Amino acid sequence: MLKVAHTICPSCSVGCGVNLIIKDQEAVGTYPYKRHPINEGKNCKKGRDSYQILNENRLRDPLLKKGGLEQVSWEDALETTVSQLKSHKNHEIGIIASGNCTNEEYETLKKFAATLGVENIGYNAKNIPAFNFETATLDDVENSDFILIIGDVLKENPLLGRRVILAKEGGAEIITADFPDKTLTGINSDEYMQIESISAFLDNINRKVLETPEQSSTVIISGLSGEEFENVLKFFQDSHAKLLPVMEECNSRGAMNILPALNENELKDLLKKVKLLYVVGDDPASYMEESLKNIEFLITQNFFINETVLMSDVVLPGSCWAEKSGSFTNTTGETQKFNQIMLPPENARDDVTILMELAEKMGLEL
Amino acid sequence: MESQFLLAKAKDEELAEKGECGGAVSALFKYLLDQQLVDGVLTLTRGDDVYDGIPTLVENSEDIVETCGSLHCAPTMFGDLISKHLNDIRLAVSVKPCDAMAIKELEKRHQINPDAIYKIGLNCGGTVMPITARKMIEMFYDVDPADVVAEEIDKGKFIIELADGTHKSVEIDELEEKGFGRRSNCQRCELKIPRNADLACGNWGAEPGWTFIEVVTEKGKNLVENARQNGYIEVKTPSEKAIAIREKIESVMIKLARKFQDKYLEEDYPAPENWDEYWNRCIKCYACRDVCPLCFCKECDLEKDFYADENEIAPDPLTFQGVRLSHMCFSCVNCGQCEDVCPMEIPLARIFHRMQKKYRDDTGFIAGVSEELPPLYSPEKE
Repeated sequence: MLKVAHTICPSCSVGCGVNLIIKDQEAVGTYPYKRHPINEGKNCKKGRDSYQILNENRLRDPLLKKGGLEQVSWEDALETTVSQLKSHKNHEIGIIASGNCTNEEYETLKKFAATLGVENIGYNAKNIPAFNFETATLDDVENSDFILIIGDVLKENPLLGRRVILAKEGGAEIITADFPDKTLTGINSDEYMQIESISAFLDNINRKVLETPEQSSTVIISGLSGEEFENVLKFFQDSHAKLLPVMEECNSRGAMNILPALNENELKDLLKKVKLLYVVGDDPASYMEESLKNIEFLITQNFFINETVLMSDVVLPGSCWAEKSGSFTNTTGETQKFNQIMLPPENARDDVTILMELAEKMGLEL
Repeated sequence: MESQFLLAKAKDEELAEKGECGGAVSALFKYLLDQQLVDGVLTLTRGDDVYDGIPTLVENSEDIVETCGSLHCAPTMFGDLISKHLNDIRLAVSVKPCDAMAIKELEKRHQINPDAIYKIGLNCGGTVMPITARKMIEMFYDVDPADVVAEEIDKGKFIIELADGTHKSVEIDELEEKGFGRRSNCQRCELKIPRNADLACGNWGAEPGWTFIEVVTEKGKNLVENARQNGYIEVKTPSEKAIAIREKIESVMIKLARKFQDKYLEEDYPAPENWDEYWNRCIKCYACRDVCPLCFCKECDLEKDFYADENEIAPDPLTFQGVRLSHMCFSCVNCGQCEDVCPMEIPLARIFHRMQKKYRDDTGFIAGVSEELPPLYSPEKE
């Protein structure tokens, strides 16, 4: 049995459409999704390889730490989770998600935390603070007369890069600023500015070009985080140009609409405050293993094995994107729904369902 | 065998009604599935709207009716879908000429088993990229593309049908002059009637409610005859006039294609400095290689260590596109997939098609049409 089915690529924040080729319930490849308005059947290597995410290092059964991690029934795993959640005070419980969950999962987590009275909740924002203004669309990029790019979008987000190329073919002027002496975006721009620091760049830039009202200008901000990101945003926000910050993960933009955006310091602070940590989709062990030592009980809900899973007391196997229905909000703020097109492996379950079952067993009404 | 012409239509009323031109192609598929002569039928089904054609494997003959109708805004390729994923079953497939060309080359190269496949060819005047179609319907037809319930290409026009039954049409020439209309490789394509399939079916020369079929192979001849004997289709002989009309349409379209070849491959062919600009954009994502239906080596030279360059920003065009060109251009069937999927908008099909044409002029080998393999072909990789 062979099926070609539409989905949204989870590899970056552009939100390209991609078709998965599914043979006998296994994802075996991708097929161009030419009807998709964002990328018209064009995908980068990561996008075309995205089917492999469904097949690699998957969690197939609930696990409990009994010395090592052992396979258990859902009932046992959920019961242990519930009794641990119940035996901790609300302020001792922390919940962190990643930028790769669906909007529906964020909503469920938010309700779950609110009903339980948990305030220590957020998602790993990869040091990009939440913002709330209308950003440039991909069509805005393509129809620009002038584009200023910070970062290497042609290489890192090729299907956003394509819109820059189309703008250039339409006569737009492209200026790129970045740290290396040469970048792919740089060699395809009218002007490349190698910069030493963001502050020096902002000090020297002639903003006039962005303040010509008859010209449509776009500023694309990629590869920056923390203070640098905030400074660039502040600098251009009152210009005439439309801004497009490029997120790292496929649903960071959706997450920031629903959950608090936590930077690395805030995540570390959260871990200092709580004794029980519930992780959905994120891998805190990869960037703050030291802080995790403070945690007495670690619960992980994820679809694949990562460092945090291996340290966990309970592991709840969730679903990979194509195995569930939901939506992602891309870096331009567009929310795109996708449907379940295959089943999760063995005993893995839909993530919203897992949270709802937990809530029910806790006696919470979401 | 010598070609035979006939007109056919489905005996099943639902297929005759819902199918294109009397539903003969759908009826042939139904016959093949019912008689268990194939395990599946690979064809297009309509997804979200008329701009969304999705390759679908139909295994149950009752589902054939879902696949009825032609979709011109679905530039799909079936060749490698079959060679990579459907080589383990007996298959019938509806093929545009470029699908048939790719399949023919893959058969010659032992990537598809010719004994396990029925190729039902569909005449093709070209396909339109879905998003291009939506944009042009908004601009030239002043219609919300979402309101279109059907489309067709007839007598040089792209015709749309709205929910209330009204039709609107615009000359394809006009659309293409402004950069819309068919994909540029389709504009250049000379194979409009897929005589490289078992049957070539279409509406050119057919009377309303009938499919004009050119029977190309013995296999195709037996299929039509058995489907008729088993009550799936009725057939009759087309008039001399019908045959002449069909020939005329074909020759006009081929002439037009040659004009487009001159335009895209000679007059407007990018200058070397334009190519430099194109190659500068390359992100070396291998999309062109991977989508090419005829590029199937398990170990690709392009991934060999001696071509790796840590410091390169864009790959050296000589050792990337140049190597691809030297391996594949003889075999290019001008399906346009490489160009369709290139994230950086590099007009790849132009250079490959141009080279194939030069090779054809020198050797007589036409990829996807000639019975033999290209001269100098090495079977080492099969």
